[in-house]
Amino acid sequence: MKYKKALYEWIYILPALITLTILFIFPLFFNFWISFQEKSLGKEASFVGLKNYIKVFNSSVLYVSLLNTFIYAFTAVFFKTIIGLTVALFLNMKFKGRGFLRGLSILPWALPMYVVCVLFWFNYDAKGTFNNLLRFFGLKPIHWLGFDYAMPSVILINVWHGWPFFFMGILAGLQAVPIELYESAEIDGASSFQKFIHITLPFIKPVILTVALLSLMWTMGDFTTIYMMTSGGPVDKTLTIPMASFQIAFFREVDIPLAAAYTIVILPIYLVLIFITLRQMA
Amino acid sequence: MNKEYRKIKTQLIIVIGIIILLLWILIPLYWALKTSVSYPEEAWNPGLPSKITFENYIQLFNPYPFAKRYAIGAEAALPQPVIVPIKNSFIVAIIAATVSTIIGMFAGYNLARFHYKGKRLTMYYILFTYIFPTFMLAIPLMVILKQIGLLNTLQGLTFVHLAYTLPYSILMLRSYFMEIPIELEESALIDGCTRSSSFLRITLPLSAPGLVTSFVFAFTLSWNDLLFALILLSSSELYTLPLEMNFFLWGGEIVDPIGLSAVAVFTGIIPVILYMILQKYIVIGLVRGALKR
Repeated sequence: MKYKKALYEWIYILPALITLTILFIFPLFFNFWISFQEKSLGKEASFVGLKNYIKVFNSSVLYVSLLNTFIYAFTAVFFKTIIGLTVALFLNMKFKGRGFLRGLSILPWALPMYVVCVLFWFNYDAKGTFNNLLRFFGLKPIHWLGFDYAMPSVILINVWHGWPFFFMGILAGLQAVPIELYESAEIDGASSFQKFIHITLPFIKPVILTVALLSLMWTMGDFTTIYMMTSGGPVDKTLTIPMASFQIAFFREVDIPLAAAYTIVILPIYLVLIFITLRQMA
Repeated sequence: MNKEYRKIKTQLIIVIGIIILLLWILIPLYWALKTSVSYPEEAWNPGLPSKITFENYIQLFNPYPFAKRYAIGAEAALPQPVIVPIKNSFIVAIIAATVSTIIGMFAGYNLARFHYKGKRLTMYYILFTYIFPTFMLAIPLMVILKQIGLLNTLQGLTFVHLAYTLPYSILMLRSYFMEIPIELEESALIDGCTRSSSFLRITLPLSAPGLVTSFVFAFTLSWNDLLFALILLSSSELYTLPLEMNFFLWGGEIVDPIGLSAVAVFTGIIPVILYMILQKYIVIGLVRGALKR
């Protein structure tokens, strides 16, 4: 009877668990297995031991992509947090048109990433929005996706698309702060800055941390922006981890086992981050 | 005096804040929006178009591959008329969203209502799949799909999209079921109702908004995918919308600005409409749904 009940309850979740295992766990182990193979065109795959791993560690791509990914993700998350927090505090004030602005603020985030990239194809074009604005203010046009500005330019896209997620999370946190706390602080004569530091910030800190960690994971796994804007170029300037694994598999080396070994090497970094994120969420 | 001064200061902050926020959101949207309603001659004009046309949007639904636009101007060499990727994107997203809502409904119910050993672990497993970066799965999934003959098929792509949609649907529906009072079901159970019929007859109808939300967000998650479409699809008649965008470029230059802007705005407007309708559920679904347990 007890077993029957347990079995009955598991049936509800079994299809989901099977699907997720086929889509996540199985590919991860399969990737591990592929990484020990060598497959050249027209030949059978053969077992080569750690050869691919030695190649990965000896190639500069690993270190370049790691560095680029950290620059890309941490800078983007930093600015998304600042903008999301500022807008959330602003749209938590009482004024006319606040509801409309709250709705509008979701817009960048509601757009698919590749559509945002197309918007910025127009903005970054030599004849496009940003260079026209620069000319309007009497400044020199910039080569936005050239060597010097490529990284800041792709970061700007990620920030523009991603800040509303921070805004929504932080706003929900702000709305949960009890008003009585502010009222009693006002009686004690606290300034608005003091209220922010001593009441608001401690209250929304867990939300900010959770949202930032989730966003950090997604930004470190962001393939679309880099693929659409620069494909990792110019000269590897924006080559991030997801782009590098794609490049190794399909463009440069055209070597799927090598790409598998590359993703296995960087997997621990993501696992540590996932572990930290899950602990924060719990 | 001091009070008056502070009031004016606050008013000023609000006005400046509104202006900055509007500029920050709207400037990046401007060029694509104005180009999509321009005539080709004015495509690279920085100002607003002198006359407006919706022909660029109508042409998206033109089923003939080489149908000429009403005016000359460089046209992108598309392998298929745009209606083909539009259709493919819709098919994949609708099926992926339906499947993930159905599977997620049962799984979410299990996590919201039942108490058993290993539930905590199951919850962690689903949260893990929710935040795991999917690009790591792309290469092995491609090899696997190739071996079972689903590479370069919409079925294969739809199945793989469950990696985005299913964890989300489960978490979202779980938090929704948890808000529904358990007493309603308990009284039905006492009346001799079985567990499955109390779920299907009582909780599920009450959860209709949750099911719609799960479907809509799963739809947009699938609609937003570029990576898997890129890796899994090689025949142009199976391409989804994100793959279509690159055909408007030639050597990194935009060759057909009006065509490109119309496709991009159309592709973007669909999730935007859906998000605007369900605005108040977004936070519930994404932040609170994952956080509260």
